[in-house]
Amino acid sequence: MVIPETPGKVVAPLSTAPAVAGHTGGTFARMSKRGVAGSGSSDGDAGTAFWLMAPALALYAVFTLLPIAATFWLSFNGSAGFNTSASFVGFDNYAKAAQDPIVWKGLAHTFLWLAYHVVMAGGLGLLLALAVSRLRITQVFFRAAFFLPHLVSLAVVGVIWANIYDPFFGLMNTALTRIGLGAFTQGWLSDPALVLFSVNIASSWQGFGLYMLLFIAGLQNIDHSLYDAAEVDGANAFQKLIYVTLPGLREVTTFVVSLAMINGLKGFATVFVMTNGGPFYQSELITTYIYRLAFQSQDHGLAAVLCILLSLLAIAITIVFNRWRARLSQ
Amino acid sequence: MLKFLARTTALAAMIAVTLPAHAETLKMWGPEQITEPLVAQLWNGIKADFEKANPGVTIEFMPPTGTISNGAVQAAIQSDAGPDVILTNSGIGRISVVKNAKQVMPLTEQYEKRGWKDQIYPWLYTELKSQFGGEIYEVPDGLDALGIWYHKDVFDQAGWKIPATWAEFEALMKSIEATGLQPIAIGPRTTGSAGHLFGNLLQSASGKEVIGKALRREIAWDDPSVAAGAVRLQKLVEAGDIKKEMAGLDLDGASRLWFNKRAAMFVAGPWFTANARKAGYDLTNAGYAPMPSDIKGAAIPTGGVGWSWLVPVNSKQPELAMKWIDFTLSDAVMKKRAQDPASTMIYPREIPGVEPPTPVLKEIFAAAAGGVGYNPSVYLPGPVLDTYFQVIQGLISGQIGGEDGMKQIQAKMAEAK
Repeated sequence: MVIPETPGKVVAPLSTAPAVAGHTGGTFARMSKRGVAGSGSSDGDAGTAFWLMAPALALYAVFTLLPIAATFWLSFNGSAGFNTSASFVGFDNYAKAAQDPIVWKGLAHTFLWLAYHVVMAGGLGLLLALAVSRLRITQVFFRAAFFLPHLVSLAVVGVIWANIYDPFFGLMNTALTRIGLGAFTQGWLSDPALVLFSVNIASSWQGFGLYMLLFIAGLQNIDHSLYDAAEVDGANAFQKLIYVTLPGLREVTTFVVSLAMINGLKGFATVFVMTNGGPFYQSELITTYIYRLAFQSQDHGLAAVLCILLSLLAIAITIVFNRWRARLSQ
Repeated sequence: MLKFLARTTALAAMIAVTLPAHAETLKMWGPEQITEPLVAQLWNGIKADFEKANPGVTIEFMPPTGTISNGAVQAAIQSDAGPDVILTNSGIGRISVVKNAKQVMPLTEQYEKRGWKDQIYPWLYTELKSQFGGEIYEVPDGLDALGIWYHKDVFDQAGWKIPATWAEFEALMKSIEATGLQPIAIGPRTTGSAGHLFGNLLQSASGKEVIGKALRREIAWDDPSVAAGAVRLQKLVEAGDIKKEMAGLDLDGASRLWFNKRAAMFVAGPWFTANARKAGYDLTNAGYAPMPSDIKGAAIPTGGVGWSWLVPVNSKQPELAMKWIDFTLSDAVMKKRAQDPASTMIYPREIPGVEPPTPVLKEIFAAAAGGVGYNPSVYLPGPVLDTYFQVIQGLISGQIGGEDGMKQIQAKMAEAK
C-alpha cells in the first residue's frame, strides 16, 4: 500500500523513483532506493516478499517441481507398476528407449503431427480470418460459429470424428457415396497411410477457431492507411495481401505458430480416443506411447524417460523457434 | 445437579442403544454398467439384502472409471481414498499387474478359512492355485465364454448354419460375403474385441492344449503350431472375408454393424447380452456357437476368469470386504443374480435348477459346460498385451503377416520374463 509521507504530496511512480528519491516520494520510492543502494534493511523486505510468494511457491513446488523430480527419479528406476520399492537401474531405461523402434516411430509421428497441426489448424485459421474479416454484418456470427468447435473437449471431438470416419455408417464415406464419389471412400482410421492425417483433421478442427480469432485481432491492428497507400500505388488485392497484410501479421503469426507447435506437441486426446496409437502403431505419438507404457504396461521407468525426452524436445523447439523469430525481426 | 447428570446419562445410554453399535461403510468398486437401470436394480437389491443382514453397515457403490488394463483400478487404490473391495475385469495377466505392485491382498488363507475353495469349480480353484506359486489374489465372480454370435433369422432365411470344420467355415464366409453382408464384424480399436476374435482363431487352429503351453511359455508363440491361428486371420483378411476397414472400428462400431444386421457374425461372450439389450436388439433372435475346428474337442468357447473380487492392501474394511465376498458366493445371491434379466455371465460354480434368463445365455452355458479354452487377452503378462493387440490390428489392417506378428509377440514374451 502507498502512503504519502506528507499530506498533499504526490507519490512518485516506481519508474521515476531514482530521479526524485531523496527529497520526495513515498514507500515505493524508498524501497527502490534501498534496492539500488543494497542497504541492510532490505532483508526485511525480502522476507516479506518471500512470505507473500510462499503460497504460490508451495503450489509450484508440489504440482510442478516435485513431479519433475519424481519423473527424473523414476527414469533411473525399474518399477513394477505402482510398487514403491523400485530399484535403481542407472541408465538402463534410457538405453531401452534408444533401442525401442516404437519410440523412434512415435517421435517421427510426433513431428509429422506437429507439422500437420501448424499447417492445417494455423493455415485454416489464417484463411478464415482473412475471409471473415471482410464481412460486415455477418462477421460476428461467423466468428462465433467458427470458434464454437474450440469449446468442445478434445475427447468429445475424438468420439464425434471417429463416428464421422466410421467406414460403414460414417458421414464421410456415406456422403462421398451419395454424391457419386464412392471410389474415394476410405478406411480413414484403418489405412496406415491416412490415419495420422485423419486424426489430425479432427484435432485441427477443434483448434483452428482460436487461431482464427488471434489472426482477426492481428488484422484489426493493421493501419488502414497502409492499404490506402498501396491502392494509390496501384497494388491489386493479392499484392496488398503479400506486401501489407502478411507483414502486418508477422507478430501474430509467430505467436500462433508457437502456440500451434505447443498444442501439437501436446497432441494426445484425439489420438487416444480415436485410434489409441493404432492400427499397428501407425498413429502412435510419444504422448500416447507414454500413456500406454505407464498405465497399461506399467513400465513407469521407460515412460518417465519419454516424458523427459518430450520436455527436451519442447525446450529445443522453443529455443530454435525463438532464435529464428529474433533473426527475422532483425 | 445430580438429577441433571442422571438424566443426561440416561439419555446418552438410550441414544447408544438405539444407534447401531458400529456404523460402517464398505466402499465397493463396481460393478460395471451400474448406471444401467436393470443392473442397478439388481445390485441395489443385493446391497439392501447385505445391509439388512449386517445392521449398521452401508454399502457405497463407486462406479468404475476403468479397469486394471487402463490403470484406473491401480490409481483408485493408490489414492488411498479408494475402494475397500473391488469387482473388476480379471484374469492372470491383469491380476499380476496389481499383485506385482503389491496393491492387493493375498486371499489364499481365506479360501481355506471361509470355505471359498468349495464354492467355485474345482478346476477353477486348481487353476488359481497354479498361477502365483500357490498364492491366490482374487475370488472369481464370473467366467467368460467367447464364441460366435449370429442372427437366427438371417441364417435361417439363407439356409446357413455354423459348420463343424474350418474348410466349411471358410465356405460359409464366402457365401455370406456374396450376399453383400460382412461375414464377421470386429472392432479391434477396442483391445478386448480384437482379442476375442483372435483368441477364437488361435483356439480353433491350435487347440486348448497348445495355446495353454504357449501361455505357460512351454512353446514359442512363433512356433507354427501356435502361429496357425494368426496365419488364418491373415488369410481371411487377404481373401476379403474380414475387411481391412474393420481395423478402424471399436467395439461399439462393430456391434452396430452386427445389431443392424449388416454383419452376419460377431465374436463375443455372455456379457454381449447387455450390449444387445442396450441397442434394442431382440435377444431371442441371437444364436451362439463355438468357432469350428478341425481338432477334436477344440470347438469350444475361449475365456477364463472374466471378473473377480479383489481386496486392496489399503482397504479400510478388510474384514467387511471378506464378509461381502462370503455373501456374494452364497447360494441365495448366486441364484438371484443368475436368474435376473440383468445377468450377463457364467458363474464360478454350478447353480443347479437355475434357468438362464435368455435363450442365448442358455446356449452359451451349454457350449461352455465342458470347459472353455484360453482367451490370451486375460492370460498374457501385462507388458506383452500392448504388442499382442497391436499385432492383431496389424493383421486386420494388412500391415503384417501372421508369422511375423507372432514373432513380435514371442519377442515381447521373452523380454517380459
